[in-house]
Amino acid sequence: MWSYILRNLLQRLVLLFIVSVIAHGVVHLAPGEPTQVDPSNPRMKPEDIVKIRKAFHLDEPLHLQYAYWMRDLLSGELKSFKDSQPVLPKIWDRFLNSLPLFILATIIVWTLSFPTGIKAAIRRGSIYDRSTAFIAYTLISVPGFFLSYLAILWVVAVLGVPVIGMRTFGMEDAMPWFQGMDRIWHLVIPSLMSALGGIAVLSRYVRSQMLEVIGQDYVRTARAKGLPEDQVIYHHALRNALLPFVTMFGFLLPGLIGGSVIFEQIFAWPGLGRLGYDAILSRDFPVILTINFIAAALTLAGTFVSDLLYAVADPRIRLH
Amino acid sequence: MKLKTILIVAPLVVTVVLIQSYFWVPSYETQTVGNPSRVEKFIDSSIGDAKILNPIIQADSASSDITTLVFEGLLDLDENLNLRGRLATEWQVTEKAYLAVISGARFIDGTPVTAVTLEQRLRRAIASGLIPGLKDQVMGLRRVAAEERSEDISLPGKDDKAQTVKLHLRIPERIEISLRGVDQDLFEKLIPVIGAQYADSAPYDRWVEVEPNERREAVRSQFPQWVPVFEHNPIIEFKLRKGVKFHDGQEFDAGDVKFTYDAIMNPKNLSPRTSDFEPVKKIEILDPYTVRVVYKRLFSPAINAWMMGIIPEHLLNDVELKKEMERRNISPELRKTFGMRESEFSRHPVGVGPYRFVEWQSDEMIHLRRNEDYWEGAPQYKDYFYRIIPDKLTQEVEFRSGAVDRYSARPHQIARYKKDKRYQNFTSLGFGYTYIGYNNRLPLFKDPLLRKALGMAIDVREIIKYILYDEAERVTGPYPKNTQWYDQSIQPLAYDPEGAIRLLNELGWKKNADGWMEKDGKLLEFNLLTNNGNPIRKAVVTIAQNAWKKIGVKCNTQLFEWAVFLQDFINPGKFDAVVLGWSLSQDPDLFQLWHSSEAGPQKLNFVGYNSAEADELIVRIRKEYDIDKQRELTHRLHRQIANDQPYTFLFAPRATEVLDKKIVMMKKDGSYTKITPSRSGSIYYSFNKWKKLEHVPEFK
Repeated sequence: MWSYILRNLLQRLVLLFIVSVIAHGVVHLAPGEPTQVDPSNPRMKPEDIVKIRKAFHLDEPLHLQYAYWMRDLLSGELKSFKDSQPVLPKIWDRFLNSLPLFILATIIVWTLSFPTGIKAAIRRGSIYDRSTAFIAYTLISVPGFFLSYLAILWVVAVLGVPVIGMRTFGMEDAMPWFQGMDRIWHLVIPSLMSALGGIAVLSRYVRSQMLEVIGQDYVRTARAKGLPEDQVIYHHALRNALLPFVTMFGFLLPGLIGGSVIFEQIFAWPGLGRLGYDAILSRDFPVILTINFIAAALTLAGTFVSDLLYAVADPRIRLH
Repeated sequence: MKLKTILIVAPLVVTVVLIQSYFWVPSYETQTVGNPSRVEKFIDSSIGDAKILNPIIQADSASSDITTLVFEGLLDLDENLNLRGRLATEWQVTEKAYLAVISGARFIDGTPVTAVTLEQRLRRAIASGLIPGLKDQVMGLRRVAAEERSEDISLPGKDDKAQTVKLHLRIPERIEISLRGVDQDLFEKLIPVIGAQYADSAPYDRWVEVEPNERREAVRSQFPQWVPVFEHNPIIEFKLRKGVKFHDGQEFDAGDVKFTYDAIMNPKNLSPRTSDFEPVKKIEILDPYTVRVVYKRLFSPAINAWMMGIIPEHLLNDVELKKEMERRNISPELRKTFGMRESEFSRHPVGVGPYRFVEWQSDEMIHLRRNEDYWEGAPQYKDYFYRIIPDKLTQEVEFRSGAVDRYSARPHQIARYKKDKRYQNFTSLGFGYTYIGYNNRLPLFKDPLLRKALGMAIDVREIIKYILYDEAERVTGPYPKNTQWYDQSIQPLAYDPEGAIRLLNELGWKKNADGWMEKDGKLLEFNLLTNNGNPIRKAVVTIAQNAWKKIGVKCNTQLFEWAVFLQDFINPGKFDAVVLGWSLSQDPDLFQLWHSSEAGPQKLNFVGYNSAEADELIVRIRKEYDIDKQRELTHRLHRQIANDQPYTFLFAPRATEVLDKKIVMMKKDGSYTKITPSRSGSIYYSFNKWKKLEHVPEFK
């Protein structure tokens, strides 16, 4: 077990290095330069641009730029091109903004998918099952941004309250309770919108897992013993059906950093996804590369954790 | 069953908690319920976040929206776009001109030139009235001794790396002429004394030494700049406002003005505004409230540069930056390059403006609060929020739900908003226009008549009507239409496809069997490009393609992502024709856009416009300090460019701002009036006087 963990960690570190080199190459070789190096700004002269390129090390060969990036990243002094602020605190701030959205969306996905999926499995072929299937496929196939716009327009036209951003502005002098509720309200629509796809996928997955388990011999045995139907379903069947979901917690990790670019953009949510998106548009290399690096690290960590979780949850699996 | 209950109760609880929160959120009508101070807050919105809140470093419009409220310049523009004093109460423009004594040169009558004879002859000529008009202008004349000076300059060397070159300059003896105003033709007026060929005998090889010497040829063309025979030194003397305080209580004085200049020129700060201040020779502090700025050469846009915000010396000088480095524990490696860009000041600015900085949450909002001690009286609004909402549609949605107080409507929405009783609207022309630019260097586009024919084939009225919903005006030349530099009397090209065909026929292009224009076996065919992501430009491309097809011109179109578009096509000049737009300022100087010397790669005259007449006008405009004369010159330049048609000038879009009707402009006596925009159309000109009333006011 320990040797497995150690070997696996080493492999992943090598992989992380390769990923970072490739990402660095791709980002730098893509056309376009940081917006600070802007020849279309009439205020800038070629000498100014030479100076700026030098300050950003853009005049050095790629491998040296990689070395500078790594050195600054590891010493924690990496600066953004855009505003010369340290990159890591910047990412951390945005991460904290994205976190509530991520947590609430996850809660919504996991609390809503299970009851829907289980019920669909129990009443397989019923109208309920068919209509949830229909809705799920609709939600999967309709783009999230489109539904978001519809939801926003509906809320504003019918309910007449603000939905964009993390809170309503101009409420700084209102009572704290109002302010708190206002913040929760601003979480509702974006997290629901980013959860919709997840609910659709996960509830279908729960349904198929349940169906598979319900057909097993031990469920038939439980029924034959004369156990109440609820106990059969929720005790004997559900527990076994849950097994694959344990490992899915591992895959949640990278979702933390990827955030949700589209929803943050639409809802003007100052989160990590938008930071990355804006960085790409303005070719802010240090920010793009660092977010990418952390995402890669988290993805590798996530798959690692789910491997471990599998071993813990399922006694049939042994890691060597 | 426990598990079953949990599975049913949990989603219910989550749903109820989330939905009930709705009942606490204010709608447009209930904004002030339980929150009466809402009317004292103004909430603005922007597509993009500010980058850096330091007026000498920032280059983006969001940052300047904020810094114009937090900082203040010496001057700004009044409602008619004329200069007005802010931190400066008055300013005076004079000139000192220098004439180098070229030993070895001869006067017209053959006598050799020496400092003494030159001075004597000039004095006599001016006093006797031999040179008309100069007697009243000239305040004094004196000799200045020769001097030597060393300088380092940096040149772009191999592989984009900068190379430092040492200069050693031997400046000869000179005659200094003090003038009451700036006169760009002074030395031409002196020709009767010194002769027209005086400068030709300047011995630059004796005056300039370059190290390393192999770069000498590369910089030879700049010798006359470094040791000029004729030198104009315009001087601006500013009297500063007394008793103005920065937001932290420190008083503003001449030291801050000089410091701001020094900071811009400090290479560590990588200021994008160095070119505005590069012509400054020196800044002298005469007393704490008087600053004298001496310029190296005639450069009239320089005065506009003083509209830039003044930054506080006492918070940003070397001592303070050093303290900050200690406090933040910056590594020795980074200390070498640590400047204002890195300083926390850029995220916590302190200025003298009407609003003081409170808080900035990146990509969410910037919060400012009014400066109670503002020298012109505190603004009406207590708080100013600058929200960042990256999506146009949601911006409007927030406006309609009352969470944003201003909205700039898109063309197709303007008609609707004008009818809406809840809002007031302001339409203005702005400083931008859209055009089709032809690569003037290509043999195909060399002939102005061909460019004119192409322009005549396009029905611009149709574009304005169907693409911009009539929210645009036709333009005919290079200046923004709402400035005095634009000549309103110039008529736009008439839409005349028949005439265009005739014109092409005259140029030798004939329709072939397939209906395409052909000359010497070659089709009249080219590519029209524009950048992706701008639906209006995309539509213009399609309309132009179709319009040209009708007269037998074959045009292929393509869209590219902005960065690729610039790097692969515009910067190297590898394109046939493009649809693009300019967003300009009230500045009459168009050197970078139209002068033939700015047509190289990475320059802004990327269409390669080259006209000797226009070049001369452009140079004269930037040397002219008299506004009336400047206007005359800009009108001539406008006409010249309109005749040459290097672009097909299309339209200037109108912008419409929508505000709640309850927002009015307060007068000093406590009464209020409707908000009136300035000549440029900006409603923000009077922003400090805005106030939101509790009720909708009635105006006649």
